[in-house]
Amino acid sequence: MKLEVVRARAERFGGIVEVARPRALLHVDREMMRELGQPHSPLWDSAAPDDAPLVAPTEVHVVLSRRCAAGCTGCYVDATPDGAALSLDEARRILDELAAMGVFHVALGGGEALELDYLFEVAAHARAVGITPNLTTSGLGLGAREAERCRVFGQINVSVDGVGEGYRRARGFDGFAHAERALRLLRAVKEEVGVNCVVSRSSFDGLTDVARLVRRLRLNELELLRFKPVGRGARLGEELTPDQARRIYPLARRLMLRHRIRVKLDCSFAPMVFWHRPSARAAAFWGVQGCVAGDVLAAVAPEGHLTGCSFAGPPEADARVPGAARAAWSEGFASFRSFVRSAPEPCASCEYLRLCRGGCRAVAEAHGAFSAPDPGCPRVQEWTARTAGRGQVAGGGSFALPVVRG
Amino acid sequence: MIFRKGRVLRATFGCNPNSSSLGVDVTFLLFGAIFASALALMLGALLRRPRTP
Repeated sequence: MKLEVVRARAERFGGIVEVARPRALLHVDREMMRELGQPHSPLWDSAAPDDAPLVAPTEVHVVLSRRCAAGCTGCYVDATPDGAALSLDEARRILDELAAMGVFHVALGGGEALELDYLFEVAAHARAVGITPNLTTSGLGLGAREAERCRVFGQINVSVDGVGEGYRRARGFDGFAHAERALRLLRAVKEEVGVNCVVSRSSFDGLTDVARLVRRLRLNELELLRFKPVGRGARLGEELTPDQARRIYPLARRLMLRHRIRVKLDCSFAPMVFWHRPSARAAAFWGVQGCVAGDVLAAVAPEGHLTGCSFAGPPEADARVPGAARAAWSEGFASFRSFVRSAPEPCASCEYLRLCRGGCRAVAEAHGAFSAPDPGCPRVQEWTARTAGRGQVAGGGSFALPVVRG
Repeated sequence: MIFRKGRVLRATFGCNPNSSSLGVDVTFLLFGAIFASALALMLGALLRRPRTP
């Protein structure tokens, strides 16, 4: 067996190579780049600083539209049936620019991207310029014909925040049957199909049912996404309790082992993982990180705004303007990139700071301060309780999260 | 072959379809640092391996 390099790009530390089977991105050092026959890069002429961001994101989340008929109660982009959308030409131009920067993957989403009649043209264009398009969908309205066309995507995940009545409670409408049908149709045509599940205070206890669904339908992953109080979710009061925040990582491991499925936690869960003190070396190797905005990740909004992530951060450029994204990447994103250097306590003294990066900026911003430590982090909660004497943490029941703006 | 100098520093498998799921792959984190080191060596060897006709 040989791992075939399908694409590679130089970085200060060496480079990133993409292999197709198994599908992976491998960070390699300069020597390995040379051994693989990659051309010399001027980036290698000086020592690589430890905290330099990547020369381009590896992945960009392209929010194609804020258009969606579902009306989910917690929608983080505040999608409506007639929300804004990137046009096909705009989306193509943005993909051209991202390809020129060396971006490997795009995550296409919305709103409901399947409501756009040009979604498959966008995906085909991504393939044509060498980017792997991936998709998140609610599955509503997906028929056998659309499922067949979904072969163009890499990974497709269907949003399922609960099973049966749990779905209705989480999303505010009874769409579970549609989502399950979409999963079956997609799984019939491709293997890279999974479930996205937003983990909120009230959906937490239903995660085992979702894991069983993933197992039953032979899906390739369950991605657990932390509820963030942004968009329509800002007023819901659905953030995890301190007790749930401590339990999510052990629960994810249990679901993985018991149901023999791949389980992923999104980057905003990093503080909850590092609180359990996993091997930092292993975490670094597997790319386990907290906020990766402005480094590994960027986002494009339907209005063209380039941001660090689709949940937070100031607009850095109009991605529809040729050359703007590349220029912004080299000079912007200071609000994300400066956190580690200027981290306040208790992050400053945390051994996982370089990996965790202070947790989720979107959650911190929702609680009032973009550059503050993530208030959902167990370590932050313990530190706050110790220094301010505001509550008990050990039992998990009496600690109060700060009030979310809204 | 595995004793050559170039190294694999990080490995992320699969694709991310989400706005924010670049995070923790519980499946792999479970196996710890020794497994990660061994896999880095193996991936390096498989990358360098000559193409078979």
